[in-house]
Amino acid sequence: MNQLPNELQQIHAQHQTRRLFLQNLSYGLGGLALGTLFSGCKTTPDNAPLQQAIGSPMIPRLSQFAPKAKRVIYVHMAGSPSQLELFDYKPELQKVSGQACPQSFLEGKKFAFIRGIPNMLGPQTNFAQHGQSGAWVSDLLPQFAQHADDVTFLKAMYTDQFNHAPAQLLLLTGAARQGRPSIGSWVTYGLGSENQNLPGFVVLVSGGNQPDAGKSAWGSGFLPSVYQGVQCRSEGDPVLYISNPEGVTRDVRRKTLDAIDALNKAQYEDYQDPETLARIAQYELAYKMQVSVPEVMDINKEPDSIKQLYGIEPGKASLANNLLLARKLVEKGVRFVQLFDYGWDSHGTNAALGIDAGFREKCGQLDQPISALLTDLKQRGLLDETLVVWGGEFGRTPMQQSVNGRKVPFVGRDHHVEAFTIWMAGGGVKAGMTYGETDAMGYSGVSGRVHVHDLQATILHLMGFDHEKLTFDFQGRPFRLTDTAGKVVKPILV
Amino acid sequence: MKTSIYGVTGLVVVLIGALSIWDGSNAVDYSTQVKPILNKHCIACHGGVKKQGEFSVLFEEEALAKNKSGHAAIIPGDAKNSEFIKRLTATDPDERMPYKEAPLSPEDIELLTKWVDQGAKWGDHWAYQAPDLPSVPGRSMFASVTDWFSHRWEQNDIDYFITDKLNKEQLKPAAPADKATLLRRVALDLTGLPPTEQQYKTFLANPSAETYATIVDELLASPAYGERWAAVWLDLARYGDSKGYEKDNRLWNQWHFRDYLIKAFNADMPYDRFTKELLAGDLLPNPTEDQYFATIFHRNTPTNDEGGTDDDEFRSVAVMDRVNTTMEVWQGTTIACVQCHSHPYDPFRHEDYYKLMAFFNNTADEDLRTEHPTYHLWRTPEKAQINALKSWVRTNATAAHEKKLTDFLRFAQPTFFYHDYKEVTDAASAPVADLMVLKPGTGTVMLPQVVLTGKRELYLMYFTMLLRTTLDVHLDSQQGPLLTRIPLDTCAFYHEKLAHVTLPATATGRHDLYFTLNSPGQPFPGAKGADANFITEKDAGLSWLLLHEGLPGRDKPGCAAQMALFQSLLTAGFDGVPVTIDLPAEYARKTYLFERGNWAVKGKEVKADVPASLHHQAVSPFVKDLPKNRLGLATWLTSKDNPLTARTAVNRLWEQLFGIGLVETLEDFGTQGMTPSHPELLDYLAVKFRDTYGWSQKKILKEIVLSATYQQDSRATRAVLERDPYNRLLARGPRFRLTAEQVRDQALAISGLLSHKLLGPSVMPFQPEGVWQVPYNADKWQLSSGEDQYRRAVYTFQKRSTPYPSLMTFDGSNRGTCLSRRIRTNTPLQALVTLNDPVYAEASRHYAQQMMRLATTPDEQIRRGYQLAMGRSLPASRLSVLQTLYRQSLASYRANTAETAKLLQSPAGKPELAALTTVASALLNTDEFTTKE
Repeated sequence: MNQLPNELQQIHAQHQTRRLFLQNLSYGLGGLALGTLFSGCKTTPDNAPLQQAIGSPMIPRLSQFAPKAKRVIYVHMAGSPSQLELFDYKPELQKVSGQACPQSFLEGKKFAFIRGIPNMLGPQTNFAQHGQSGAWVSDLLPQFAQHADDVTFLKAMYTDQFNHAPAQLLLLTGAARQGRPSIGSWVTYGLGSENQNLPGFVVLVSGGNQPDAGKSAWGSGFLPSVYQGVQCRSEGDPVLYISNPEGVTRDVRRKTLDAIDALNKAQYEDYQDPETLARIAQYELAYKMQVSVPEVMDINKEPDSIKQLYGIEPGKASLANNLLLARKLVEKGVRFVQLFDYGWDSHGTNAALGIDAGFREKCGQLDQPISALLTDLKQRGLLDETLVVWGGEFGRTPMQQSVNGRKVPFVGRDHHVEAFTIWMAGGGVKAGMTYGETDAMGYSGVSGRVHVHDLQATILHLMGFDHEKLTFDFQGRPFRLTDTAGKVVKPILV
Repeated sequence: MKTSIYGVTGLVVVLIGALSIWDGSNAVDYSTQVKPILNKHCIACHGGVKKQGEFSVLFEEEALAKNKSGHAAIIPGDAKNSEFIKRLTATDPDERMPYKEAPLSPEDIELLTKWVDQGAKWGDHWAYQAPDLPSVPGRSMFASVTDWFSHRWEQNDIDYFITDKLNKEQLKPAAPADKATLLRRVALDLTGLPPTEQQYKTFLANPSAETYATIVDELLASPAYGERWAAVWLDLARYGDSKGYEKDNRLWNQWHFRDYLIKAFNADMPYDRFTKELLAGDLLPNPTEDQYFATIFHRNTPTNDEGGTDDDEFRSVAVMDRVNTTMEVWQGTTIACVQCHSHPYDPFRHEDYYKLMAFFNNTADEDLRTEHPTYHLWRTPEKAQINALKSWVRTNATAAHEKKLTDFLRFAQPTFFYHDYKEVTDAASAPVADLMVLKPGTGTVMLPQVVLTGKRELYLMYFTMLLRTTLDVHLDSQQGPLLTRIPLDTCAFYHEKLAHVTLPATATGRHDLYFTLNSPGQPFPGAKGADANFITEKDAGLSWLLLHEGLPGRDKPGCAAQMALFQSLLTAGFDGVPVTIDLPAEYARKTYLFERGNWAVKGKEVKADVPASLHHQAVSPFVKDLPKNRLGLATWLTSKDNPLTARTAVNRLWEQLFGIGLVETLEDFGTQGMTPSHPELLDYLAVKFRDTYGWSQKKILKEIVLSATYQQDSRATRAVLERDPYNRLLARGPRFRLTAEQVRDQALAISGLLSHKLLGPSVMPFQPEGVWQVPYNADKWQLSSGEDQYRRAVYTFQKRSTPYPSLMTFDGSNRGTCLSRRIRTNTPLQALVTLNDPVYAEASRHYAQQMMRLATTPDEQIRRGYQLAMGRSLPASRLSVLQTLYRQSLASYRANTAETAKLLQSPAGKPELAALTTVASALLNTDEFTTKE
């Protein structure tokens, strides 16, 4: 009986070194990931059996090469904010505002809602250049503008999908359909996590709705379900089922777990199934998580200076709260924090979706905490190793939302696949850079165009992975995040 | 031949050292020796995706053909002069292959040289050759008699295949499993539920082979059997109760598919018939309602209601998914990569994909919000009306007309929808409202190539608030002859109306129909409030349009009333079940190859056909006497000619029982898939299933569970574990964690909470608040009432964007795409579910009450409780663990009555019951309980 703890220790020790790990491919999914990784571009079945998740698939693993970023905070603006009111300043567009859109912008193009010939729509706010880098940021983000020298703007982003759900899936899973693993799943599959007492891939949702793509946006697709994002919530259990049932004290729970542990050890003695050992370890982890998750999710205990910095609203699922939580989570070693903020789909069909109304409010809710996040990461020395990515799933049209000349009640713009802006900061990207440029109307990129697959390749590169080699065999072929495309955007790398 | 093919499977097995490496003959075999080398070193540059130097080794004719150099690289019989061989040892690094990679090993080069010298004979991958019934190794003709006398370990033929391999590996099978453990295993495997107390009693009282066989029959006959196997098929069928994208609205009637599955499995419907019904139930002669419901199978593809989506794009996505799913489920073939280019490794050409797609491309569904076409389940008043209409038709025409009428009312074919119109002038589609919007006076749209012959009645659903308005229909151009003028009455806000005109009898032929909104543009006074984004009071919107041949007896008295009845039925309410039906022949779609898989870039036209590499009789075009439709495809899939259908089916059953398939990659039997651990056994089971048992799943399952192999003890010794960690050789019984559904069902069953109610709509058991947060959708998770909270997991409402969390934690599928096998994981979140989910807390409470009912003393209660869950009696050492837990928690709850009341949800709750509840929770969380062993 007493040989058990030693054996567990030994198994964990084996996970610590790659060499032993590779020898023991049969142990655990971690082995599987590495086995797949190190076989390079696979052309032969390696028979790495993936049927049993023995051991700890979240144990930290080495990337393919030295990473620049150890963790990611991906702040997704579901609905897609207008780049033309935030970063992509187009004075020429102002001059033609109200004029009919040229045919060349419409021929052979598809828009979600625009029908007939819409009018052009100039920037609806004022812009100025900021910092040493002279980056253009509008007056809707005054605090963020002070961070212009901390970030790299990708101003000629483009995508293939003009509807929200498919575009979010393409951006975050590499394919416009359901069933592919999300970027956070790929990263935790490749790297494991630094903190076993917390989920390796955490999802935080604000704005009242989950994104249009649903939980597929953080699903593990065909990767083992252990790599799916775990949604942490501000109301109810911070993680589903993290709290003991009513009437179960921590003491009773400890005693219960001791009994389960003893019974499971007896079962292992009897059957010798390594899966049982793994289960024993998972129950201990669960117990630790019950303490560590509520602890990290509690923002009330943060000092007032931090609360004020972010402008948090305890008890609500606000973006400010989530950005603070994101910092806390990466500080604790969570590998990938994915935020979604809903409500950026500014068609102008009602006040909330008006560029002249709700959009301005959303920007107000974003400005302080996103700036606070950058300040906070910096002051803690975390920004160097943390990659922050911000953006939507596509851009918005330089044309005003309209159907056959009928205007919508508020100022709006339709979905636009050909140009949008994403910014990145920290972990291995240049600070104070603007990469890519759109034409005078902001309609499409004219230089430095970056496809969403390129963005994915770049994020993986910063995490220490060749995106073509971080693969998983499914349905007879190696799949990867970037599907069959993707190029690392080298000019933005430090 | 067969032996040599299988004898060397070990060659490509790198990691499982347990399998043997044995070269059985002198002649080099292409499939097992050459193909792996080509796949590994050559095919990435010279295969289905890239053809460097215009040289490919994917197909024989390509490899032997002249390439860019003007010569053939492989000269059969002459390795010395074959560039293919010379390049392997060339000294110039630009010449030497593989290009810029490490050279091949001398052994590989020797093998390839030998192969070319022997004539470079191509061969088929094992899985593409139809299976024959192999001889049973080591079994004498009189086995049944001699075995009985000699007390051989083998119980049936399956065991001979297993021992044959074990002998070669010098391993011995394990002892038979403990009887209670065996009974629990077989009950969970066949029905997904633990055995009943009575079953334990019966079997343990007389644990003979005969009793076992009787209980197996009983389990197979249990209605729970159908529920258990339906769960497997819901993953394959990517079944969901919602549409999948964005607002992810409910599909209210999809559950008929689950009912169909449960009924089909319980009736042991032969797999060939099952296949035909799923893929082509609508094409069978006089299909029954259930046969239509079978075709929901391919209507489970997600649909996209998001505003502004292109319906044809998502229709194409769905059709491609149907091809991929069909090939994965029945052929274990992953064809998705062939969408864009020829298969990189397997013998499938780019156009094979689109030939397969042509079978599915003619279905009438078009990613519409209404899920049209649906099988209309009429409500009572409409049923009576239909009967009245039918009797009119019977009196005035033939029975064939009667069927035509009911089909028309049921499926409304062909219907033209707003997205079928081409915008000509001043028109725009309003996708959120499903309308084609026309401006008064000038707004014109066109419906292409409408067949008018035989059509007398035109019905148009529309919305307008304009006065004095007609929709004028011209033939073939805006200025063409006027076919008819449809008067449009004004509508109340967003209340569409149905217009009807009778077409002149002279209207025949096929025409482009031009619709112009003829209107002075005056809305009725006070008209307003229509959605300014899409349609205003100053437009008209066209919804759907139907053409009908009219009722018989048109000139007879009373016909007008019948016409009115008919018209009212066109807009009557019904429950629509999405089913698969084809477009009428005159509107059949053509299928084109998509260049690089892009639906918007169409290449040459293709006709329905099956891949040549899977079809060996006289090769394509498709078996001559089979119809070139889905029914023909299903017939081919279940014909003896098909090499894969029976193999993939039995492999799936094997995986469910043993935790790992004979071919581990259930979804891929191709050259990149894993080689079978017991190839002859796979073929044996496939042929028996197909021929001996007439595709009966129950019979083949029975044979498997009656084998000694299945009945082995699942305890492993360290030595066996080291030799065979994944139990591929089966020197022990299967042991693995239960499925997501079984984990839940078992807890409910043991605690006495489980409802055994069969069939019906999906249910909503307890789910924490705030899990559904779907945009544009106010739909709520509404806790089901009464026993519906405690139904088997297979009935749980499946929202695709937000699946039931505890099932997902145990590796359930989100049902976005076909899933052949779930990868089992072992995570702390699973522990949190069974420890803390209120469903399991409630189960613990009820389980404790069961214990109280069974016995009076705590020790005895614990003993009986354990036995109830695990079947076997409680070993003394474990009793003491549970006694300690009981004592500790009893003390704790005695000291704290408030906690007791909370735990038991009753102010009068007794600390003894609370302590037992703790014990129950511990038992529900043991490895033993969550594992089938």
